[in-house]
Formats: sequence, C-alpha cells, structure tokens
Amino acid sequence: MTPELTALVLAALLQVVQLVLFSIPANLELGSDYTTSPRDGQPARKLSQGAARLQRALDNHFEGLILFTIACVAVTLSGKAGTLTAACAWAYLAARVAYIPAYYYGLSTWRSLIWAAGFFATLLMLLAALV
Amino acid sequence: MLHSEPHLLALYALIVAITMVVQVGAAALTVGLPYLSSPRDEQKPLGTVPERLRRTVDNSVVALALVAPAVLLVETGGVAIPATVLAMQIFVLARIAFAVLYPLGIPYARTAVWALGFLATIFLYLIALTAPLR
Repeated sequence: MTPELTALVLAALLQVVQLVLFSIPANLELGSDYTTSPRDGQPARKLSQGAARLQRALDNHFEGLILFTIACVAVTLSGKAGTLTAACAWAYLAARVAYIPAYYYGLSTWRSLIWAAGFFATLLMLLAALV
Repeated sequence: MLHSEPHLLALYALIVAITMVVQVGAAALTVGLPYLSSPRDEQKPLGTVPERLRRTVDNSVVALALVAPAVLLVETGGVAIPATVLAMQIFVLARIAFAVLYPLGIPYARTAVWALGFLATIFLYLIALTAPLR
C-alpha cells in the first residue's frame, strides 16, 4: 500500500472516531428516544456548544475526505505518487487530527489555518495527479 | 489529460475545491473573516450570494461523492470506452455551468445542467455494471 492510501485509510478511521466523539454527547444530551426516532421535529433540547462544534467538525471532514479520497486515488492510479504527494497526505491527516481540538476549544484563526493546511495539501495532490 | 475519466475526476475535484475558496471569499466580504474563523456557535446569515455559493458547494460535494465511485468502477472494471470519457467531459462541463448559474440565480437552466451531470453519472454506473464478475 502506498503512503497516500495508508493515510487515506487512517483518515477514514479518523472520521469513524469523529462520529463516535459526536454521537456519544449527542445521544446523552438529546436522549436516545429522540436520536432513534425519525427526528421529524426538532429535539426538545438544543445540543451543547461542545457537541454542536463536534458536529460541525464532523460535517466539515466529510467534505475534506471526499476531496482527499479522490486526490489519493488519482495520484495512485496515475502513477504520480512520490515524496511530495506522500508528505501532503500525512500533512492532511495531521491537520484533520488537529482540527478537532481546534474546533472544540474554539481556537479562532488556528482552526482556519489548520483547515487551510489540510485543504492546500489536498489541492497539491490533485494538481500533482493532473500535471 | 482531458481524455481520461480519472483525470477529469481529479479536475472536477479541483473545481470543487476552487468553488469552496470562492464561497469562503464571498462570505468573508459579507460577514468578515473573524466570524468565519470563530467557532460559529451563533449562525449568521451570510447574504444572498454567499448562501447560494454555500448551496453550490454542498451540491457539488454530493455530485463529486456520487461520481467518484462510478469512475473508479469503470476504470478498475476495465470497461472504459470513448462514451465514458465523453460522459465525464459532459459531467465536468455541466457541473461548471451549474457552479456559475447557481450564484447568478438563474433558474431552470441550473436545474437542466444539474440533470445533465446527474444523467452522465447514471450512465457511468450503467457501464460499470457491464464489467465482468471476478
């Protein structure tokens, strides 16, 4: 397995961890009666600030992961995988790990910079696959 | 490079990434960077065009997530044909048109190009299904 694909699998597992990190407080706060229902209405209680931040971090990583998946697969299939693309893949993974506490603790600016690091790492990989 | 499905997929992923940057830029003009980099605990309306761009990004991410497996299946299944390249070319052009028409608020044409991209995706899945079982 190439380093890019290893990073991709780890990024997908990170998303599983994020789902668990969000769903535990969400179920505790909203109650499993609500979360297992069809959720036709809004829950009686709102999510706490921390749980809502974890939810937004989860949603954000879905977007990042879709782009990153294509970047990893494209560089691998096109035979463009190399030192740069491997470094980008690890940088992406590190950024997405750091993004979670940055969001949870409300570290303004840092969260955006961390997001940008992961985003531009993906962008570089996509460019590497194309040229 | 614009004659292979994986390259066109990478190109579209790049276009989606650029759309995200444009969306953030447009939102920065209306609500400011400090709000965008805050944890956004209170939801602020971003204004008409940045909100349209946000919906454009949401829709583009869904389109990307749907087309990517189809391209991989066509490639790994060894069933790529000139028509699948053409379908991906149509897909990319339709999605570019979508990303332009949505922020401009042009109805019907936007729905038409969305449908075109969607049909191209469906076509790729149908071709992927013709791959021999292994």
